[in-house]
Amino acid sequence: MYPLNYAILKHFTKVKEASAESVMEALKGQYGDFKAFKKGEIINALMTAEANGLLEESRFELNSNQELEVFYRAHKEGAATINQYIK
Amino acid sequence: MGEATVATNPAAVAAKHKLASSFKRKGILIALFSGFLYGFYTAFMTLGMSKGVWLEWYGENSGLSAFAVMYLLGALGAATTDTCSAVWALSIAGLKGKLADFGRCIKTKPGMVMVAAAIIGGPLASTAYVVGLQMAGSLVVPIAALCPAVGAILGRFLFKQELNARMLLGIAICFGASFMIGSTSLDGAGGPNMMLGLFFGFLAAVCWGIEGCVCGYGTSLIDPEIGITIRQVTAGISNLFILVPLFGMIAHVDAFGMAVQSFTDPDAIIWFVLAGLSAYLTFMYWYKGNGMCGAALGMSCNGTFSFWGPFCCWIILGVTMGMEGWEMPAIAWAAAVIMVIGIFIIAMNPMDLFKNNEEAA
Repeated sequence: MYPLNYAILKHFTKVKEASAESVMEALKGQYGDFKAFKKGEIINALMTAEANGLLEESRFELNSNQELEVFYRAHKEGAATINQYIK
Repeated sequence: MGEATVATNPAAVAAKHKLASSFKRKGILIALFSGFLYGFYTAFMTLGMSKGVWLEWYGENSGLSAFAVMYLLGALGAATTDTCSAVWALSIAGLKGKLADFGRCIKTKPGMVMVAAAIIGGPLASTAYVVGLQMAGSLVVPIAALCPAVGAILGRFLFKQELNARMLLGIAICFGASFMIGSTSLDGAGGPNMMLGLFFGFLAAVCWGIEGCVCGYGTSLIDPEIGITIRQVTAGISNLFILVPLFGMIAHVDAFGMAVQSFTDPDAIIWFVLAGLSAYLTFMYWYKGNGMCGAALGMSCNGTFSFWGPFCCWIILGVTMGMEGWEMPAIAWAAAVIMVIGIFIIAMNPMDLFKNNEEAA
């Protein structure tokens, strides 16, 4: 089992794009009972990964609850770095 | 890299803009707060090392050699603080349900990189700094303040972080401000091996630059609270079980017995416990701030510790505890203002303020 942050990043190497909400949906089966499995913490992790060039923003929109949903993707170099560090 | 698709909904654009600026502002505040807490870490550790059994050790009749007083006591103070800090880190990770992830992370490649960076920035940098001080005197203090510049340059080459002429100017201004504060402690004594001492001071700056830049980037992979637990456990173990026994052997003293006394002296340990908590928070926010802002801005914000250090010592040791010799020199206040200007220049192009005003008009 990966640490939560690793699982979040690794998810981006398997999908075209994802938001904090869709990451939570994908990982809730395995990580749903983690205390740190909170939307705010996951948004912070995604934005930090973006600030360090692992992910890039792909699009954003207001979802059906009128909340901002930002989607990210792992570009080629970012995905290679994630796969290099997280086997 | 592809281009992001921009939403046309103005409410979405405004919310996105708000999220991005809030993230940057939060990163800067966290990095500044790390510098502030470094001041408390310094003040509480200094206080712990001036109470109880430490008074005897630093006294004239301690029977300890000059080497033991300089190196062994320095390492023992750091080891006591770092071990208390490691206990705080493990307890907080446990309370937040992150202990299992700590175990999973430390065995991986990023975890081992953090362990290596913690050794470089912990015992190696601290020893280089103390040796530098011993050889070249207090001139080493401002030299060690070069660490944000080193971190920014390494961040540029290792992780392709942004570093332009404006940011370099801001870093230079912050370094100048740190130098102003450090210059107040220059005694002109120099020491017998000035150049070698300056080399060790620079080595400490390089080590801290490596740690700040590598571990800041590391928090994009590892949760900062787990990252700092790795750091403090590594620093505590390496200081307590490698550095202290090594210096004890060289100084021909019972380092084990001294370590036991350091942890069990009721007058001193309470301050080490507080120093440990401050160390946990300052290094965690340092890593987190560097991860959110990049090494150049994050480390420069953290570099305000050269102001917060004397400030917190003045408040805690001077004003609160009534100890003499901890007054703040006037130049430190002027340097603080210059640091704010330097950080501002790194964080943003001042011309953008005028552009925003024009756009608003």
